[in-house]
Amino acid sequence: MFVQIDHVDKVFPLANGGSYVALKNIELEIKQGEFVSLIGHSGCGKSTLLNMIAGLDRATAGGVILEGREITEPGPDRMVVFQNYSLLPWLSVRENIALAVDEVYSRKPKGERNSIIEHHIALVGLQHSATKRPNELSGGMKQRVAIARALAIRPKLLLLDEPFGALDALTRGGLQEQLMHICEESGVTAVMVTHDVDEALLLSDRVVMLTNGPESNIGQILTVDLPRPRQRMEVVKHPDYYPMRSEIINFLNQQKRVKQRQAAKSTQVPQTKKLEQTTVNIGYIPLTDCAPLIVAKEKGFFAKYGIEQVNLCQETSWDAIADNLVSGEIHAAQMVAGLPLALTLGMNGRPSTPISVPLVLSRNGNAITLSTDLYNQGICTLQHLKAAISNVTSDRQLTLGIVHSCSMHNLLLRYWLASAGIDPDTELNLVVVPPQEMVDLLRSGEIDGFCVGEPWNTQAVQEGIGFVIATDLDIWAGNPEKVLGFTETWVEQHPNTHSAIVRAILEACEYCDEPRHRPEILTLLTKYLTIAPQYIHPGLIGPFDRGGNTLPENLPRYHQFHVENANCPRRVEGLWILTQLARWGIVPFPKNHIEILSRVRRVDHFLTACQQLGYIGIEPDRDPFQLFDGQVFNPEDPLNYLKNQPIHRELEIKEITLA
Amino acid sequence: MLAQPKTPFLTLDRVTKIYGTTTILDSIDLTVNEGEFICLIGHSGCGKSTLLNMVSGFNTPTSGTVTLQDRQITEPGPDRMMVFQNYCLLPWLTAYDNIYLAVDSVYPTHTEAKKKEIVREHLNMVGLTESASKKPGQLSGGMKQRVAIARALAIKPQVLILDEPFGALDAITKEELQDELLAIWRENKVTVLMITHDIDEALYLADRLVMMTNGPAAKIGEVLEIPFERPRNREQMMNSHTYIDLRNYALDFLFNRYAHLDD
Repeated sequence: MFVQIDHVDKVFPLANGGSYVALKNIELEIKQGEFVSLIGHSGCGKSTLLNMIAGLDRATAGGVILEGREITEPGPDRMVVFQNYSLLPWLSVRENIALAVDEVYSRKPKGERNSIIEHHIALVGLQHSATKRPNELSGGMKQRVAIARALAIRPKLLLLDEPFGALDALTRGGLQEQLMHICEESGVTAVMVTHDVDEALLLSDRVVMLTNGPESNIGQILTVDLPRPRQRMEVVKHPDYYPMRSEIINFLNQQKRVKQRQAAKSTQVPQTKKLEQTTVNIGYIPLTDCAPLIVAKEKGFFAKYGIEQVNLCQETSWDAIADNLVSGEIHAAQMVAGLPLALTLGMNGRPSTPISVPLVLSRNGNAITLSTDLYNQGICTLQHLKAAISNVTSDRQLTLGIVHSCSMHNLLLRYWLASAGIDPDTELNLVVVPPQEMVDLLRSGEIDGFCVGEPWNTQAVQEGIGFVIATDLDIWAGNPEKVLGFTETWVEQHPNTHSAIVRAILEACEYCDEPRHRPEILTLLTKYLTIAPQYIHPGLIGPFDRGGNTLPENLPRYHQFHVENANCPRRVEGLWILTQLARWGIVPFPKNHIEILSRVRRVDHFLTACQQLGYIGIEPDRDPFQLFDGQVFNPEDPLNYLKNQPIHRELEIKEITLA
Repeated sequence: MLAQPKTPFLTLDRVTKIYGTTTILDSIDLTVNEGEFICLIGHSGCGKSTLLNMVSGFNTPTSGTVTLQDRQITEPGPDRMMVFQNYCLLPWLTAYDNIYLAVDSVYPTHTEAKKKEIVREHLNMVGLTESASKKPGQLSGGMKQRVAIARALAIKPQVLILDEPFGALDAITKEELQDELLAIWRENKVTVLMITHDIDEALYLADRLVMMTNGPAAKIGEVLEIPFERPRNREQMMNSHTYIDLRNYALDFLFNRYAHLDD
């Protein structure tokens, strides 16, 4: 890789002793010969990032690497062109360029230096003005001198900081085309900071969109796949041009609303450390993966952070959790991962209620169990299931239980079925059943299987009424299963209590992943779940038994509460969930998904808690990933993924405006 | 959109401006209806500021006439107010006093209470009531431009003339001020002439976009009718085919048919 911006943070100290995090976790690789633009609203840190590539500034964490060497200071291999030209006013065009060339190429013979100088004057079309001084030149001409000077010393990287920002939009237009031709001709690698969408599209191979500060990061990267050499009128008439332009404008509009919202909030309540309330109600469903909440209470983590009384409120269904959280009866809740997003978007005709998720509570821990009857008919794999469904000999459709339309159970089950060509809406019956009732319904034959968390799969296996055809590790290992959710309003009114709850539960999550604590956790779960420990033990402590004449196997990540950065509410995972919620017509796909995800998946709250606890917290890169079937999910192009899903309902894509 | 009365309100009749031996503007004809919003676009040096200066009366044509409601324009007057890109506020006066000065000089016979009321009303109109006692140095660019617009409107002009008013502002502030300007235009039923270099701004604001050819001897090249209904929704409008066609047409005019290099 030519340039690597490796997980860069930039923190500026403030006069009042505090600090301002300008950039957070910037990860970007640039290929040789590429033209990359950085775009974002003022204050998004784009110039700060450019300065670090230039070596004019150092990263607080991470670093910038050019051809294998870290950049620590400015050098002639990286030339910067600034908005204000930075020409020496007492020197002519030729002398300004010569000064740089003579300095860098002092060992080359005079003749060779002169030909470099003349070549670059010609490159920017200033032969007739070579003897003029800057004050005799227009703004556009001055900037062309600055570009010629930068390129004359053959830098590896040309860095442009809003090069035409001081010029009016029309003058800019002409210069953009010139710059484009110069860069195409010289083959230089370039990074340009701009706020002009047309400029970015005309010139770039990729447009990197930065979110607003503080803690700016890369919101989205758009690949501009327009043929080169480019010509403005051809570019704007290309069928992809206006869709790409509206994609960037859409991003900037989302960030504009975020900024306006931040401005409105900045006048709110003065900060004190005092907890706003010390009694808290937290909703949960009795399942093995509610362990962190139980541990936080029983092992005193809540008390440690000043929350005197925590009522763990056992709820009967995920819908009840949603209702009680929105009504304020409970203040926080364990939630299935899609529920906060769907509530924020406004599902089933509910008004939109923004939900704030600071933590993923658990990963994995689900399985798809089918009845022993089906097993006895020879259905032990997905392909068998597909064949059985296709042979329409049976007089009734199979019925499978799911716990909620927005849960990973539903989304992964549907994904798994659809990958084999089974339409979960027309070829099967999916019914919503509270987790704790699944086994009873399977036993009575009312359902033929289910996708649910533990201990219910194990209970079905041990009772001999079901077998596990797939665990979620087989479908998407590491999927975010349960999250901690608050209403955004409550978080804003109770910042200190919220922070205390998040820290307590995050510490409890770590406690839960320590193998020597697992027996103790088993005892606690037995009490809360009122179920025999033998059903909880497999997968949590001992090997997991799928039934159906298979040997039990160790699945060390079947219940993952903390290790491998499990608690980070990654936005790309939220984005995947949004594609699946839209795929099955549960909620529309939000055009403004970056804004929605930044409101719901509060990586900032997670990182703050990590910092306070001394944990290493980081949001992993936005790299593409894939589930078991190998279809690649590229977070930069979720719509393409969504449209290419093998089976989907009619897709609704719209802007969802939040309060 | 309500039908505007189609009686000629402001008329430029064969307006030519010559400096020395250089013809800046060559026989400009333009008729503006009352309440219309007109944007002018053209490369730098095309004489669009000269043109607006002849409407404001800061400059006079070498030949031809500029007429506002049957009265030929020969000098500046409070019926035509200008707003410039660089605000032109008096730095030693507060926002309130900058506006008061204009009101006081145009309406010296108003009672003190009446003058104060006008100033307050217009500060409120641009959302600056709380910043009334700040001086320009304490205001952001967007706020300064709001004061300048409030000052221009406080003396109830018939024509508001804006010379690239939002050119120096960041994208967010620019859009906010565009929306405020549209609201003010709608409520005050003032006729607006505005220079811009920004095609998107012109398409969002204007009823008609006047596109100038390059100087010297610049002319009106073409006038684009902007057909979007009002009030306009920026996002819907920008995603329409009509918008893209108009935008590309204007781009073609400016970067192809009348391309211009600045040297």
